[in-house]
Amino acid sequence: MRLLAQDSGLSLIDDAGVRHDHVRPVRLFPLTDAQHWVALIGDGGRELACVEDVSAMEPEQRALLEAALARREFVPIIRRILKIARAAGGHIWHVETDRGKSAFRIEADESIQSLGGGRLVIIDSLGTRYLVANVSELDRESRRRLERYY
Amino acid sequence: MPHTSTSAIHADLIHYAETRLEVGERVVARLMTDLDVDLRFHGGLIVLTTTRLLHVEESRATGAPQFRCWGLMEVQDLTLEETGATAALHLVQVGAGEWHWRMTSGRLREAEQFIARYREQRGQTAVSSVAEDEEEVEARPSVSSPVGKPLVRLVRFSKPWYPLMALAFVLTIASTAAGLIAPWLTISLVDDVLVPLQNAPQSVHVSRVYQFMVWLAGAAVLAWLLKWAAIYVVSRVAERVTSHMRRATYEHLQKLSLSYFNKKRTGDLISRIGSDTDDISLFISVNFIDFACDVLTIIFTAVILFSINPPLACAALGPLPVVAWLVQRVRGYLRGGFAAASRAVGALNSVLADTIPGVRVVKAFAQEQREIERFRAHDQHIFDTNDRVNRTWSFFEPTICLLTDVGLLVVWAVGAWCIAHEHTKVGVLTGFVLYVGRFYVRLDSMSRFVASAQRAAASAHRIFEVLDVPPDMPTAEGAHMPGRLRGEVEFRDVRFHHGQREIIRGLSLKIAPGEMIGLVGASGAGKTTLINLVCRFFDVSGGAIFVDGRDLRAIDVTDYRRNLGLVLQEPYLFFGTIAENIAYGRPHAARAEIIAAARAARAHDFIMRLPDAYDSMVGERGQQLSGGERQRISIARALLVDPAILILDEATSAVDTETEREIQAALDHLVKGRTTIAIAHRLGTLRRANRLVVMENGVIEETGTHDELLQRGGAYARLHQAMQEVNQP
Repeated sequence: MRLLAQDSGLSLIDDAGVRHDHVRPVRLFPLTDAQHWVALIGDGGRELACVEDVSAMEPEQRALLEAALARREFVPIIRRILKIARAAGGHIWHVETDRGKSAFRIEADESIQSLGGGRLVIIDSLGTRYLVANVSELDRESRRRLERYY
Repeated sequence: MPHTSTSAIHADLIHYAETRLEVGERVVARLMTDLDVDLRFHGGLIVLTTTRLLHVEESRATGAPQFRCWGLMEVQDLTLEETGATAALHLVQVGAGEWHWRMTSGRLREAEQFIARYREQRGQTAVSSVAEDEEEVEARPSVSSPVGKPLVRLVRFSKPWYPLMALAFVLTIASTAAGLIAPWLTISLVDDVLVPLQNAPQSVHVSRVYQFMVWLAGAAVLAWLLKWAAIYVVSRVAERVTSHMRRATYEHLQKLSLSYFNKKRTGDLISRIGSDTDDISLFISVNFIDFACDVLTIIFTAVILFSINPPLACAALGPLPVVAWLVQRVRGYLRGGFAAASRAVGALNSVLADTIPGVRVVKAFAQEQREIERFRAHDQHIFDTNDRVNRTWSFFEPTICLLTDVGLLVVWAVGAWCIAHEHTKVGVLTGFVLYVGRFYVRLDSMSRFVASAQRAAASAHRIFEVLDVPPDMPTAEGAHMPGRLRGEVEFRDVRFHHGQREIIRGLSLKIAPGEMIGLVGASGAGKTTLINLVCRFFDVSGGAIFVDGRDLRAIDVTDYRRNLGLVLQEPYLFFGTIAENIAYGRPHAARAEIIAAARAARAHDFIMRLPDAYDSMVGERGQQLSGGERQRISIARALLVDPAILILDEATSAVDTETEREIQAALDHLVKGRTTIAIAHRLGTLRRANRLVVMENGVIEETGTHDELLQRGGAYARLHQAMQEVNQP
């Protein structure tokens, strides 16, 4: 199996030598184990191959895969919680993330899920996932704000 | 207790019947009846002996039991008739008429056995066997719950924390004592400093005043510190005890049999574990320590008061007996009220636990208003019970207050008289008033303790009620740990009855390891029951199930169930990620294994399409997934445990052909190399089964492969025909 760069995407030549274009990489455990188990999906949603360990790939292949993943992925990591305000049908969170400042609305307590080890994933009303890498590493003010909701 | 008196009556009757036996005559079987012909409760006994049928019943008028007998030759037949909640036993005499007995249907089983004995005995007039097992049934001690008052049991339950509790107690005593220093200092302050200061300002040095201020401040700080420590320690104890209690209750609950859960309402159990333990926590942490403080303060104060001025003390404590009497009166009433309130909250929770999961049905039938009404009715019930309690309560507390004021009034009056007659000084009176104030404040909070203690007692009772239920399927001592099973299952004349209904009536079947059996039959034929028996959710009533040649009852349940894979009609997904749900039976399975199981179950493709793939959360009832998807996750779950015996309860509802194909492909993987018992509805499953077992009314009607049975044109052919008509209209 080999990965090739294709204008804005990824191509794959499978073990039988057949070339597949428009390959979509999908992390199977995006939240609990992002570095393992990446499925490569071809047209029609069929799984063509599955990478068990990304870090074990050849550097150049790995870079291709990670670039393709990065293009598809958007999971901001929350660094600070600036404010959580009550709003109609939920709460508006004002946060500072690794991708800049943002505000989003969450609808229910169930939108905040613990992944264990202090990791939290927050799914906003539009389906965007925000990650808190470790609650105990947040600053005091952010923790206090978070505590009221989680 | 009506039950004990009935058995006492029966014991008398048995004894009496024995005195009427003739020489050489032996008892074969006994049957207790508990109704008379007019269906009024009335104890009776029918005895089958080697030669006769005896009947003794308690007499209403004369006191001596009434006796009747028939020679076995005079009896033509004994027949049993089910008549709803009761049963009738008819004795047909040779030639002349009938005789009837009636009993509640709880005795139906015994009556059936009695008739069976009678038939045996009639066949072999001479040979006799004393009915030992009947004796055993009677001799079995009733499961007596460990009795004891709930609060006493609560104290015993807290045993691991006795040292901590002792510390809490010591701190409480100390802080209470520290609280009493201030009034004592006040006496001296008034008499030795303030009054002399007023009369002759020069006679007292100002430093004396400062000295008292420092002492008073010190006393306050000491009381504050000790109180802080006491409350801290007590809250810790309380949290630990209640957490222990919650866990113990839940652990115990998990060990109880399915039949217990079938009987109980979910909401009520939730409220027992959730809010009843909370009441107890509150009681231990807040009220119990308060109470200890109160009692100590009252004792200390009384001692101090008497040591200062006995007559004044007598006057001050005058209303105390009245309070004691009032507390006693109110106590029982409150307890009943709180128990009722607790039950009402349980009932309310039951409504919630019922309607929230069933919300789709509620909406589909537009019954929101009716559910609102149902909730309102239950809420009204809570409201009413609390209202009743509050009515008593609202009278009780102010009354205590009034008594406090009366007490103070008496102290002022008697004190004024004493000062006028120079028996006592102003300072002593001031101290007295301070002490009496404290005393009655304590009395007031003690009265509050009455309420909370009764509430906690009611809650503790509800929790111990759960803890006292014996696990239905206790692991037998020295049970066999089978490890990995080969998967041979044999039913030998298995019988099962639920209540009065016999559901499985003597079923024998041998399933070879790796064989796939399809259970077919109309609903109510006993298929699900049979599966429940294989899972050992229930024990057989008669006969036995052998697994790998061993009686199932002699095998450790947990170890046995590790060999089972279960795919249910309505797959239940827990709140958690898809990966967690697949790995439910083997929480430590590697990710590679989870993916492999999902692939084999044809679930991998749709899981990949979910936003978080295997990390996607599925709700309580897995709302976001379709029925077919949930089915495949539950197949993956079963695959992952790699069971020796697979139990498959196929959904009756038809799914679309594509999903059907996916599920069938998934099942192909699943059944390979395992003993499979499937309740089969789908044609694919029916064809794939090595043998189909057609059940009807709890017995096997016919067995064979799909094609054989079709050719035979029996029950299966008819069922199949009907199914075809439904599927292809």
